[in-house]
Order: sequence, then structure tokens, then C-alpha cells
Amino acid sequence: MGGEVLVGRGLTLESPVGVASGTFGYGFEAERMGNLAGLGAVFTKGTTVASRPGNAPPRIAEVPGGMLNSIGLQNPGVEVVATEYAPRWRGWAPKVIVNVAGSTIDDYVRVCQRLDPVPEVAGVELNISCPNIAHGLDLGVDPHAAAACTRAVREVTGKAVIVKLTPNVTDITEIGRAVQDGGADAVSAVNTYLGLKWSRVRGTPVLPGSGLAGLSGPAIKPLALAAVARLVAALKIPVIGIGGIASADDAREFLELGARAIQIGTANFYLPGIAASCAAELQQGSGTAHRAERR
Amino acid sequence: MSATLLPESDLSRARDEVATCIRADGLGPGLHLLTLEAPEAAREALPGEFAQLQVVPGPLLRRPFSFSGVDPGRGTVSFYLRVYGEGTRRLAQLSPGSPVRLLGPLGRGFSLPQVKGSSLLVAGGVGAAPFPHLAGQLLARGERVRWLNGAASADQLFPLGLLPAGLAGSLQVTDDGSSGRQGLLTDALAELLDGVDRVYACGPNPMLQAVAEMASRLRPEALVEVSLEAPMGCGFGTCLGCSIPLLSQGTAVPGLCCRQGPVLAADQVDWEGLRRQPSHLE
Repeated sequence: MGGEVLVGRGLTLESPVGVASGTFGYGFEAERMGNLAGLGAVFTKGTTVASRPGNAPPRIAEVPGGMLNSIGLQNPGVEVVATEYAPRWRGWAPKVIVNVAGSTIDDYVRVCQRLDPVPEVAGVELNISCPNIAHGLDLGVDPHAAAACTRAVREVTGKAVIVKLTPNVTDITEIGRAVQDGGADAVSAVNTYLGLKWSRVRGTPVLPGSGLAGLSGPAIKPLALAAVARLVAALKIPVIGIGGIASADDAREFLELGARAIQIGTANFYLPGIAASCAAELQQGSGTAHRAERR
Repeated sequence: MSATLLPESDLSRARDEVATCIRADGLGPGLHLLTLEAPEAAREALPGEFAQLQVVPGPLLRRPFSFSGVDPGRGTVSFYLRVYGEGTRRLAQLSPGSPVRLLGPLGRGFSLPQVKGSSLLVAGGVGAAPFPHLAGQLLARGERVRWLNGAASADQLFPLGLLPAGLAGSLQVTDDGSSGRQGLLTDALAELLDGVDRVYACGPNPMLQAVAEMASRLRPEALVEVSLEAPMGCGFGTCLGCSIPLLSQGTAVPGLCCRQGPVLAADQVDWEGLRRQPSHLE
């Protein structure tokens, strides 16, 4: 269960274990801390055409079994990623897949166009589902817009195109089928669930503005498994499972369910070595034995 | 990944070790000194650096604390903490022998002087946390060290007996006058700045801003460093949760408390921006 996996368009990962966008920066912190070993892929922080300073703090709030975030896509912009970051990925064992965000289809096209000639970028993951910036959500909840975005990106890049789906829709398989028809090589699911934490002391939400933010962490794992199960049943392209994975056994649940690969997200924050240790554990094949025993 | 030009912490020194609780002593209302056996952190931790502590079972995310005391010989570290919620409550209630995951050292600590001089340590409430370790390192370098500690009442002052021996002077200030002088810490600051080469401060943001302003006005030649805090998801720069407003070459830039801080030169902090941020400890 822990070996090489193909996630589309010739993109092969040496391990099914990856790390989710927004939980691993651009991989450099993990490199310094020695936590890259054995990973299949690093999905980078959401990257936009121009740099973004992100939202005003507070940006995170803990809730039972998870956390809310409203970071606001803080990133240095695609030019810095292409010229300064990418050379530092040379020679890495994990594939680097740049997560791409924007407000319009043209934004996605421009970022993917800029990344297409960069050899260190193995693929792009279209974040059509970031709940933390205005308008960013629209593409991910409308099957026609989602398909159009995928198709437009498909035309400007030869790299693998993975589309990351929001669970904040009535039927996630409808969006999944739309991006599959639009030429996506794979989908990843799920992005964060909309959540809100209330402060009774202040009489306002804990996080600024409307207080709406993205919920992640072990609390969403059953929800994510349900979404992934439906996508696996509905789609022909590979599904990369994300949502509350915090152990090798959690990863096995998604893989046994039919996910081609998985991403570890929030757990990277409180267990910085977790992804590397899950990859090692899966590589040892203990999951297969465990599964056989149970049957 | 930050866009600032300010230096960042060296993550290669951080280790994730399973520490063991030696003792958790109550020092006042909601105030505790937690001592852990953590040999790797005890070897590495410099004054002002912090650790992310996780208790299992407990909240999902770790909680950041400055190293208060560090004893490489015994392999122990200690943390002075105030109970604010679930995470700090569980840490305060740890019994000897309990395991605690410790990730550290993290962050950038205080800059230690290259030449001998005179330092003033200014601590507001639980902001005393990083100073036993800093005082010990300064005294070992032959520095003249004075201590100014303010708190709401006597039982919230940091016990003088837990500071290293050899301080050149100390002054305690309480809001209610129950111990030491009555008044605000900043009222007492002016008279202590004379002849000071370095001011190190930790406490509530309004206090830090007042200390920074007063020190730059009355003692402009002194180095002033402050230890800030922010809600942290990870402590090593990936969650981007601990954004704090900084100044880089005079321009406002978003920084990360965990990478560029928690200790910053007072003139690197965008104090007005910080003042507009709501408190996270509610």
C-alpha cells in the first residue's frame, strides 16, 4: 500500500503520502527540520499571480478536534515561487505540486502558464475552493465554472492538473465530474469545511469579519471519507484523499476506500514529523498485513 | 516564506522529544512553574527561545512557552505559565512522570551582548517567563543585571528566590500596593533607565509599547528588545497563524511571531498595528 502511485499524466509519486497545501509552506521548514524523507509529494501553499499579505489577525482558532483558519492566501506570488523557490526544490525526492489560487479563471491561467516551463514543478493543484478570499469560492461551487477553469488551465500547461474540491457544495460528485470532463488528471478532496467559532466574551465571532473560516483536523475525517467514497464511485480519474489524517492508519482508511494517494494537513502543525513517519510506515507494508488479518 | 527581510529562526536546531514532567509547582493564582526532563532542549535552548508543548490527551494544537529555566547538567527545562484555558490547565496539572511532547527550541531569542554592560530586565506579570534563563546567561558573562517586575498584586509577582543570584538590584511594583511599590511598572521604569545599555522586556503589549517608547526617549542609545506572543498553530512558520505587524527598513510588513520573533528589537515592531489587534487570550 505504501509504494509508487500514478496520479495522472505520467506524474508518479514514490509514496502515496503527501502533505496538504497550506500546512507545509513551500517545504523549506520541513527541509530544515529533517521532515521531508519518504514523502511522495509536497503540495505548496496556495500561490497567486501577485503576492498577498494575507488577512489581519487573529487568523486561527482551535475548536474541539480541529482548527479554523482564515489566513487569506498569504504568499509571495508566482514570480518569486518560479524564480527563487523552485531552484531550491532541485534534487528533492518528493514531487513538488504547486497549489494555485485566484479569483478569476485568468488568474489560474496566468499562474499555471508561468509555472509550465519550470522543471522543478511536477504539477499544479487548482485551489478552486479557498473559502478565505472573496470570489474564490464561486469557481468551486459551480460545475460550469469549475470545468471552464480546468479546461483553460489544461490548454496552457503540460503538467499534471489536479483540482482540489470544496466540500461546501450540495453534491461534490457533480463538481468532480465537471472537472474530469474539463481535463483534470486527478481531484483532491476535501478542502476545509466552513466553520465559525463564537466568542461570548466579545459577542462576536473569534475570527475577524464574518468569522467564517475553514475547519480542518481530525474532526472532519468522517466527512472527508464520505466525500472521497462518493468521488471514488463517481469518477474515472484518481482521487487524492484529504481530511483529518493524523496517522498511518488514518491514511490506510482513505487508501482502502479507493483513494490513490492522500495528503496530511493539520497534523503537520502539531506533529511536524508525522507525514514522514506515515510514509515510512506505509512503505513497510504493515497495512496490507493488517488488512489481510482482519478479513 | 515571509516577505520580510528580517532574519528568521534556525529550525535545524529544533527537536521533537518526549519530555517527562519532574514537577509542576503552583506559584500564585493560576501561575505555575513546570519543570520537565528534556535533555535535548536543555542542551540547546537559548534565552528568549520557546518550545511548543503538547499534552496527550489534551487539545489538538501545542502551546508555545518561552524557556524560563534551562539546566543542561540535569537535562531539565522549566516553563513559567499562567492558566488561560484547556491546554495550560492540563500542563499545570501534570503529575511527575507524565510525558509531554516538546518541540524546540524555536524562534529567535534575545541578543546577548558582546561587551560587558548594564542590562535592565522588565517583566509584566507572566511575562517574567523568559528572564530567569536570560539573567543567568547575562550574569555568567559578567553583565550588571537589574530586575523590574510589575504585577496586579503581590501573589502574581515572580518569586525573587527563583531568579539567579547576583542581581545588581530589583524593584517590584504592584497595582494594588500589596507588595513593593504601588503603581504601574512604567512609572518606575524612568528612574531605572539611567546608565542602562540594554533593556529586555516581556509582558502585555501595551506595557511593551510603553517601555519601548520610554526607553527610546530617555535612553536612545540602549538596545531595547521585547518578547511578543501570538496565537500559534505550529511554531515553525508553516501555518501563518501568528502574523504580527513588523517594520522592515521603516515599511510595515507582516511577520511571523514564531520565525522573526518572539524576540524583536523594539524598533522592528509596528506598535500601532499591534495595538489594533484584538487580544487572543479571551
